[in-house]
Formats: sequence, structure tokens, C-alpha cells
Amino acid sequence: MIFPGIDFFLVLIIYIMIFLIITLSYNLAYGYTGIPDFGRAMAAGAGGFLCGYLPGRLMAYLMGIKEDYLGNVLIIVDKINVVLEKDPLMSIGLLVLTLILGAAAGGILGLIASLPLFRGIRLFYLGVTLLAIQISFNTIVYHWEPIIRGEFGVPVPDPFRWLGYYRPPNVAPSFMRLMGVIITSGIVLAITAYYCISVSRSPLGRLLKAIRDDERSVEALGRDVRKIYVKVMTVSYALTGMAGVLFAFYQRYVIGLNFDKVAWTFWPIAMVILGGLANNKGTVIGTIVFITLKRFIMFYKADLEFILPFSPVWLEGILLGALLMAMLIYRPRGLFPETPEIPLSREEIEKLRKRT
Amino acid sequence: MEISLPPLLSHAIVYANVISFMTISATLTLTKTKVPNFAVATFGTIGIYISFTCIKIFGIGLYPSLIFCFLGGGVIGVIIYWLIIKPLRRRGATGEEMMIATLGLDIFLIALLNIYADFLTRSFKIMARDFTLEVYDFKAGGIDGVFIVSTLVFFLIFVSLHLIFSKTNIGIALKAVGENPSLAECEGIDTEMLYVITWFLAGALPATGGCFFPVYWIANPTTSYFVIVTVFSGCVLGGFATIYDAALGGYIVALAQTVLVSYLSDIVGLWILPYSFLVPLLTMIVTIFLFPQGIYGLPWSGLIEKWHLMIKRGGNMEG
Repeated sequence: MIFPGIDFFLVLIIYIMIFLIITLSYNLAYGYTGIPDFGRAMAAGAGGFLCGYLPGRLMAYLMGIKEDYLGNVLIIVDKINVVLEKDPLMSIGLLVLTLILGAAAGGILGLIASLPLFRGIRLFYLGVTLLAIQISFNTIVYHWEPIIRGEFGVPVPDPFRWLGYYRPPNVAPSFMRLMGVIITSGIVLAITAYYCISVSRSPLGRLLKAIRDDERSVEALGRDVRKIYVKVMTVSYALTGMAGVLFAFYQRYVIGLNFDKVAWTFWPIAMVILGGLANNKGTVIGTIVFITLKRFIMFYKADLEFILPFSPVWLEGILLGALLMAMLIYRPRGLFPETPEIPLSREEIEKLRKRT
Repeated sequence: MEISLPPLLSHAIVYANVISFMTISATLTLTKTKVPNFAVATFGTIGIYISFTCIKIFGIGLYPSLIFCFLGGGVIGVIIYWLIIKPLRRRGATGEEMMIATLGLDIFLIALLNIYADFLTRSFKIMARDFTLEVYDFKAGGIDGVFIVSTLVFFLIFVSLHLIFSKTNIGIALKAVGENPSLAECEGIDTEMLYVITWFLAGALPATGGCFFPVYWIANPTTSYFVIVTVFSGCVLGGFATIYDAALGGYIVALAQTVLVSYLSDIVGLWILPYSFLVPLLTMIVTIFLFPQGIYGLPWSGLIEKWHLMIKRGGNMEG
């Protein structure tokens, strides 16, 4: 049995960070607000597919390349990468711009996806609709070649390439690139985590929980619950959109099969449920456990082939399905059940108490 | 005498029968047991593999295997109820939790079906993926057997369900359980038995529908992905209320999808075929925005009154 090398662990960190962005934002929608969102993959796809569509075309335009983009995409992206390699500023600019646009694309999709809520439909209907829209979204991207050539996919310009070019001696370019992805993902994750934790400790967080627990009571107190649902969905989808961009930049290639419902919707749901709904600490632990388990299964797939009586490809579905059902039956509140959020630190509360 | 039935009509009706079996099942579980069953289409795939096994392993014909699909699907439905739904219900799981649990069940069942397909391929050296059962169908007077049998079976089951729900004590008890299970229990109704019956039907109906699917279309363990949007759309159009609306919703959406896309492909080209799911999706969205309670919520009595009034006025004008 071989042991994973350093690259395995760097990639594991990247996956954990990207999925943490998704699960924390999902926790905001489902854990705190109670929206059964089964369209999360669509938000990640909005960012990821935008990453395959826009930065390459934008760079080609800026570089004055007039050839048919999709017809010559491999050559054009190679040319773009040569320019990006020597221009850190342009690379960072392209990265930041795509992240912003990815967030915007995700946000717009979240806004559209939550519009049925204005019709006062039951949340169950929203779940059904979102799942159907997500399947349709993926099928359109897969079959409609003008976006990212469908099943063939497109390469994505690499904004981390300059890290390999300007690397210190004796350091591999691939290591520098992975470090670049980790740092960028870390920054986006920090923003997401800060936002989600702030919301959970604020009056808004308590309002969201109140909506989840008793929507009608909140409405009776004069709050427009529908508007709040839409706002939460928009922000949550925008954050997930950035995760999609990061994943596409990390992979350097996007195909129509990426961002499928199992990996990008059902796995995040399982992570949040395993960790504990409306508990950011639980979500973090749930995500780390699931992603690590999944990556190790993938790494040892060939070895598992000899142990298991079936192809290990199906192990993922068996594990995911069984865990989801078992958690909901035996531990519905997750490993770390929801606790009351204290808006201030203990010291500050003590100070206030003394003052009064 | 040979009757020539347009293939499009035959395909559309068979597809509508298959989808309607599933929409009735999904509506039953939601209205009677408050469980939104996201695995309903995969129950259909289970039916596909039961009939495939009957034909390829046991040498039973396609249509005799229907009984095994019905019973096998029903038994699986009951097992699922006992193992998953009942424990969830007992601990008071919310509707959203039920939804996620059935999503988990769907993923689990698809993985199991894939493992089963691998097993069939390895052990019996038969192609258990991307197959059709067209060769096992018969023709009667130029009409495909699947068209006749699926329509007959659908109407037979539909009429039986209608009689059960409207004329028997079980049907009345099921209605009571669907509206208020606690009150029904206080009245001495054996709710547990009724839940078991509902889940038997919830498994049996899609599995029966699934038996017809591979006669016209290629089947594999992930077939449910291709029909799930249509099933949901049919349920939403029906209004998730009664079996009649569910059947009508399923029929309308399935017929619209098959016929409309076929005509459109003649006009704009074959490239449109992969986008056929847009028809049920748009139907679902339009339903949610214009009449969220579906066909069930439409003011039928008002419409009929208006219709009568119009006829009367028309008659007076003529007079």
C-alpha cells in the first residue's frame, strides 16, 4: 500500500477550503433559515462555468486575438498563459475580477431561484423546483456547446502560473501553484467564515432562526419573510459562486459534467447535517471529515477494488446515502447540535453585568 | 386487420403511463404519509431491473414479469417504510428532513442498482446497462404490445385505486389519516397498517411503470435522472393532492414533452432533443407562478357554472 505524498495533502486542503465555503454558505440557507436548497450545485456551476466562459475570452480580446475562441481554445489559452506567467498584476486582476463576477453570477442565480418564494409556495415545492432547475441547468451546459463546448470542456487561463515563474530556487512550480490556490481559497474562506459567524451572532442570525422555527410568528411581527428568504439565497449563492470559480481555476479545465448534483449539492448537505445544523463549528468538522474520507477513498480506489465485492466507484453513493439516512434517523442535530449564539464575548458580558 | 398507429402516439402514451404511475406514487406518499419522496423515479428503475432479471435470468416473459414488478416494488416500498420512514416519523422528523432522507435513499438505491448491474454482468455475462427489452414485446394487429398492455394495466390499476379510495373502508380511513393522523388514531383506525399499504403502493406503482420503460427507451441504473424532472412537474401540475390530479398532471406533462419536442425537432432540427426536459421544467415554473395549487386548486365548480351559464345564454340568444 502506498502512502499519499505532499501533493495529496495540499490538494486535500484545497478541497476542504472550497467545500467549506459551500457548506458554510449552505448552512446559512438551510441550517439557519430552513430553506431546503437542492440547487447548490447550480450556484457553484454559475461561478465555475463562468470561469470557463469569460476570463479566456476577455484576455483574448485584450490581447487582440481575433481567432474563433472555441475553435482554437487550446492554442489561445496557451498564449494567454504565456502572458499571465510574466504578469503577476494582470493575473491577480483577472483572478479577482472573475471571483467578483462569479459571486455576481451565483447571486443572480440565487435571486432567480428564490423568486418562486414570492408566490408564497411551500418550501417543499421550492426543494422540488430547485432540484429540477439544477438538473436542467447542468443538462443545458452539457449539451449547449457555445458556452464551454459541453462534454469536451475548455481550458481555463491560469492566474497562478506566475508563482511558478517567480518561484524561489529548489521549489517545484506545481507546489507554488498549489500554494497560490490555497492562499486565495483561504482568503475567500476567511471572508465567508467571517460573514457567516457575524450573521450567526447578530440580530439577523436570530431573526433567521426565528423564521426557520416559526415563519408565521415572524410575519405576525411585521417582518417580510419572503424578502429575507430571497436575500439569504442571493448572498448564499454568491458565496458558493466564488467556490465554483476557485475550483475551476484550480482544475484549469471545465467540462459540462462538472458541478453535478451529487458532489456539489448532496455531499454538502450531508456535511452540514453530519456536523450539525446552524452550528458553524459542526459544519467545519463535518466538511473536513467528509472531504478527507472521500479523498482517501479516491486515493485508495485501486486497492479497494481487491477488498470490496463491487467497484469502489459505487462506494461513494452507498456511503453518502447511508450516512444521510442514518444521521437523520439517529442524530438529526448532527455531531455538534445547535447551541445558543452569544452575541458578545464572555468578558464583555461580564463587564456589562458589572456595570449594571 | 392491421391498424397502423403513429409511433409518436404510441411512444407518447406509453411514456405518459410510466410517468403517471410515478406521479400517483409521489402524490400518495405526500398526501397520506406526509413524505415527499424524491426516490420515486428510482423505484421505477427498480421495476426495470426486476423485469430485466425475470427475463434474462429466470426466462419469464416481459409481461408475466409485471406481477413480480408490482409485488417486488411493493415489498421494497414496505421495507423502506419500516427501515427509514417509520423511525423518522417516530422521532417527529420535519418535512425538510424527510425530503433529505429520501434524497439519501435515492443516492443509496442508485448505487445499489449499479452494484447489481455489475453483479449481473460479472456473474451472468449479460449486458446489464444501456439495454432495451424491445425484442420481448409483441405486436397485435400492427399495434405494439407495450402500448396495449401499459394502457390497460394503467387503467386497471387506476380504476382499482379509485374504487379502493372511494368505496372501501380502507380508502376512507386513508383519507382520514392523510388529513389528521392523530385524530384518525383516536377513532381507532390502524394508522400503521395504512402507512404500510400506502408504501406498498408507493413502491409497486412506479416499479410496474418501470417494467414498460425499456421496451421503447434505453435503460440503465441512472434512468431516474432522465425522468425525474417530468415526474416532479406532473406532480406540481397535479397539485400534490389526489390520485386523479396526479394522473392527469403526469399525462399532460408527459404527452406535452413527447409530442411537442417531436414536432419541434421536425421544424428546427434534432439538436433540440436533449432539451426536451425544458417542457416539464417550464410547465412546473408556470404552474408555480400562475396557479401554485395546480389542477387541483383550479376553481372547477366555478368554471363549470360559467360554462353552463355560457351555454344557457347561447341557447337564449339563439332562441
